[in-house]
Amino acid sequence: MSSAGSIQMTPTELVLAVNQTLEYAYSSVTVVGEMASFKVNQGKWVFFDLKDEESSVPCFMTLWSLRQPLEDGMKVMVRGTPKLTKWGKFSLTVDTVQPVGEGSLRKAFEMLKKKLEKEGLFDPAKKRKIPEDLTRLGVISSVQAAGYADFIKIINARWGGMKVQVAHTQVQGMDAPDQIMRALKYFNERGEVQMIAILRGGGSADDLACFNDEQLVRAVAASKIPVICDIGHEVDESLSDLACDVRASTPSNAAEMLTRDRAEELTKVRRAMMKTSQVVVNGAETAREANRDKVKKISHGILIKYIEPELSKIRENMVGVLKNIERVLSERENYVKQKIVMLGALNPEVVLRQGYAILSGKISPGNDVKITTYDAEIIASVKKILERKKYE
Amino acid sequence: MSKAEKSLNEKIAELDKKVEWFYSDDFKLEDAVENYKNAAELAKEIEGDLTKLKNEIEVLAEDFTK
Repeated sequence: MSSAGSIQMTPTELVLAVNQTLEYAYSSVTVVGEMASFKVNQGKWVFFDLKDEESSVPCFMTLWSLRQPLEDGMKVMVRGTPKLTKWGKFSLTVDTVQPVGEGSLRKAFEMLKKKLEKEGLFDPAKKRKIPEDLTRLGVISSVQAAGYADFIKIINARWGGMKVQVAHTQVQGMDAPDQIMRALKYFNERGEVQMIAILRGGGSADDLACFNDEQLVRAVAASKIPVICDIGHEVDESLSDLACDVRASTPSNAAEMLTRDRAEELTKVRRAMMKTSQVVVNGAETAREANRDKVKKISHGILIKYIEPELSKIRENMVGVLKNIERVLSERENYVKQKIVMLGALNPEVVLRQGYAILSGKISPGNDVKITTYDAEIIASVKKILERKKYE
Repeated sequence: MSKAEKSLNEKIAELDKKVEWFYSDDFKLEDAVENYKNAAELAKEIEGDLTKLKNEIEVLAEDFTK
């Protein structure tokens, strides 16, 4: 029954109605405020107040949902559902809470770092190396992120033949840790990749805060498959960075660490082959020299054994040949000498000296002729020609 | 593993081994020419791979928000 303008209901009905209205109007709200009266009850339930200068909202959550150590005074962002309890007390049932603002983030980071360090999650001895023959890579990143685009561009430029599976997840915000953890689980359960790269690139401290989520950090450290992280810039440090196996400073750096440079490899292969061909050529040259000495030794042996006797015979023959030549030359010399004597006898000077004269010119009456004696040349005139009686 | 199944890294590692032989005590001139031929063939294959091979990028259809 209801009076005019008013609805009559029981307390339970009122609580239900208010909760339905709240759920309809504010199914999920995000509130930023300062944490106060933080306490954990029975090791299960977390209670705290979220306040600003004027108001305070009581908050409730399970300890399991608490992903980072928190304490009073921290500025936090909570996401939850406003509810009225059956005792009529208003509170926010919190899904997630994370510190915001530089001071709170730093404090939460240091607290968790100390805790996990004690447990040995960052132990350098546990770090695994990038597999030498990396052909199957898992990437966890937002495909819209600039860092992801840089990473893909660089691995494609540097290397080829890799199968890259990309798990598209958020890489900032309150949902990011769970999504990244699911992707890690996905790759670990399938075991198809040899290495997992979590890529985020640069961002503000608030953007990168999700990588300090305790459960995510533990999942990174527990991954059966080695993990490389590129979260933030070189100066930023996240707990996931500390828990992973290999830390890269930028997406480009991660790509360089995971792949070889094809241009460099090409040069190395060509240089190696050139050097090797030189080794073969040098080996061949050395062998040829060695063989040449061997041949020399062998041929010297052959010379003594087989050729030398033949040479002696040749030498003997040569002596005979030379003697013959000498004999022939001697005979030729005598012959020439005789001819010289004979020629000497025919010398006109010799004849003239014996008192003879030489008559030259046309011998006919009235003509002049020349008479040559040993001492003189006489020009004479022909008067008459008489036939001479011969005494042969 | 057959030649076709070998990754680029594996081929490079194999070439490194082949080249090492030329500097090792096992080097024999009698085998050098044949070994050089084999290494040169592999080097040519690697050069081809280095120039042509591309990465296969697959964005998983899996929804990680749930």
